[in-house]
Amino acid sequence: MPGPIADLSYRNYTGLLEPPLWRWWVIAKMTMRTSIKKKGFWALAVLSAYWYVFLGVIFYFIETLGSGAGVALSPVLAKIVWRDQFLNGFNLSQLFLFVLALLIGVGTISNDSRAHALLVYLSKPCTKADYLIGKWVAIFLILAAVGAVPTFLFYGYCALSYSRYGFFTSEPFLVAKLIEMVMLPAAFHASVCLGVSSLFNQGRLAGAAYAGIYFMTGAFVLMMRAVYAVDTSLNGRRHLPQTAIHMIGTLTYASVNGLENALAKIVLDTDGSGLVPGGRGAGAVVPAPDGLPFGIVYVAICAICLLIAWSRIRAVEVVGR
Amino acid sequence: MIASLQKLTVKYGSFTALNELTGEIPEGCVGLLGPNGAGKTTLLKTLLGFVRPFSGSATVLGEDVTHAGRALRQRVGLMPEQDCHIPGLSAVSFVAFAGELAGMPSAQALRRAHEVLEYCGLGEARYRDVDTFSTGMRQRIKLAQALVHGPKLLLLDEPTNGLDPRGREEILELIRAISHGKEINVVISSHLLPDIERVSDVAIVLVGGQIRATGRISDLKRLDGQPVDVELREPSETFVSRVVALGGKIQSGRPSAYRIQMPGKPEEVLAALFGAARDTGSQIRGFQHAERSLEDAFMLAVAPSSPTEVP
Repeated sequence: MPGPIADLSYRNYTGLLEPPLWRWWVIAKMTMRTSIKKKGFWALAVLSAYWYVFLGVIFYFIETLGSGAGVALSPVLAKIVWRDQFLNGFNLSQLFLFVLALLIGVGTISNDSRAHALLVYLSKPCTKADYLIGKWVAIFLILAAVGAVPTFLFYGYCALSYSRYGFFTSEPFLVAKLIEMVMLPAAFHASVCLGVSSLFNQGRLAGAAYAGIYFMTGAFVLMMRAVYAVDTSLNGRRHLPQTAIHMIGTLTYASVNGLENALAKIVLDTDGSGLVPGGRGAGAVVPAPDGLPFGIVYVAICAICLLIAWSRIRAVEVVGR
Repeated sequence: MIASLQKLTVKYGSFTALNELTGEIPEGCVGLLGPNGAGKTTLLKTLLGFVRPFSGSATVLGEDVTHAGRALRQRVGLMPEQDCHIPGLSAVSFVAFAGELAGMPSAQALRRAHEVLEYCGLGEARYRDVDTFSTGMRQRIKLAQALVHGPKLLLLDEPTNGLDPRGREEILELIRAISHGKEINVVISSHLLPDIERVSDVAIVLVGGQIRATGRISDLKRLDGQPVDVELREPSETFVSRVVALGGKIQSGRPSAYRIQMPGKPEEVLAALFGAARDTGSQIRGFQHAERSLEDAFMLAVAPSSPTEVP
């Protein structure tokens, strides 16, 4: 048999090379692609929507069974504060969103550092900024999408089914506020994940560090809430001075979840309520905090984390510099 | 010329890694030789802009390394010394991603990734996760990601580390094929002299952050006075006496092999030695111009002495 007549030796690439711009989007696309392939991603994404599903079912039965086949208005639904339902759904999805952030975000730089992947990125026409922006955008978009999809599906369901209960009239700018509400925790997790991730060479250590911060601050907030609830639940009689109660109320937001909850309350312009306003435990609802200091804390944490990541990203480790 | 260095100094804190390096890296395949800590890897990193020079300047492919940045890296491919990959990607995804990072459209990057993996001997493993690759396979994929976008300059840092003999042969063959007649310039850093000798035309010897010797490998290996190695069928004292009588010097010798240095032009030396063999009844079994091994040339270069440059 004669050999092949084709030239099988190495041939160089002579095709198109696009200008070295927008590399961050290439990095973001690949990061998103690998993230959504991870085991558990879809399960967590679906689980994060459980409260909206629960609410949808509850509302359906309330209206169907309680208002005579939808002819008369249901008195229960008529009392509902719609934006508070989104706030509750948001709050109850935060744990899943955090676990998703651990899954897809917190190892992103540390795993790259361990595999020396930064050499690959930075030896190509990519800058540190491209790398950081690409990673940040990828985590942000995924978390924002996971938060937004159930929120807006529920919004669509409510818009189609409960407009006669004042769904539109009670809050005409709800869509814009919901967009802002789902973006804030996504941006926060993306920034903190990058900052924490850049401090470690193993994704698991970075994940443990972030989880430690999350649960330690969460435990502190739980204690503050308990104090707040006890003090406000004894027949309306307060035992602590008003300034102390105010301070404790503010400290109930001193955690990752708490900060996100506070910002969601500020964005939605509500203190929050249960399923039905005035129901059980309504007295323990902590009012929304002042927007400015919490906004400053939020921006400062994000900025510090991104600065840490920026300072830690290097193509080569230079000892003694 | 692919790179020019002008009093290039690189410092890590108080440690000087490159000390007023001045010289040029010619086109073709250039070997960077030097003992550990000589500054080879630092030089490659500086050429790529990873390390900022303390003083002096360097240009690569006509671009200043401190300012060119992305435009330069689009024309350069780096195969780093240490293991590097992007976790969680298959081989073909990794190489295609490297191509996209370099600016290739995604469809072309994917097609080219398949091609390059074939060239690098990873065609059968292209859909495997890179995390599961052996050391040798990881070396190959590092080369693949460096080659995917068709760089004009390829920087290879210890490319045969961790390869078995067959893999080493294949990689060296590929590097030689790439660097000869394909319009790709290669700078290969290695402490393995046979590797450099196999693929490079020119060698630069770095010691203590300074260039100790530079030139074509054949020139570095050349001995002063152009001696010749003559091997006889059996030892012959009469032949030795005859050569000495003709003005030759026996520089070294084994029982039947002699390194002889004689005055005159090469063709006159040749005629005189064959004449001496004929006159003394000796039978010449081997005859070649003597040269030192690259290892000897390297040891000579790294020995404490003044820098040498071979034209």
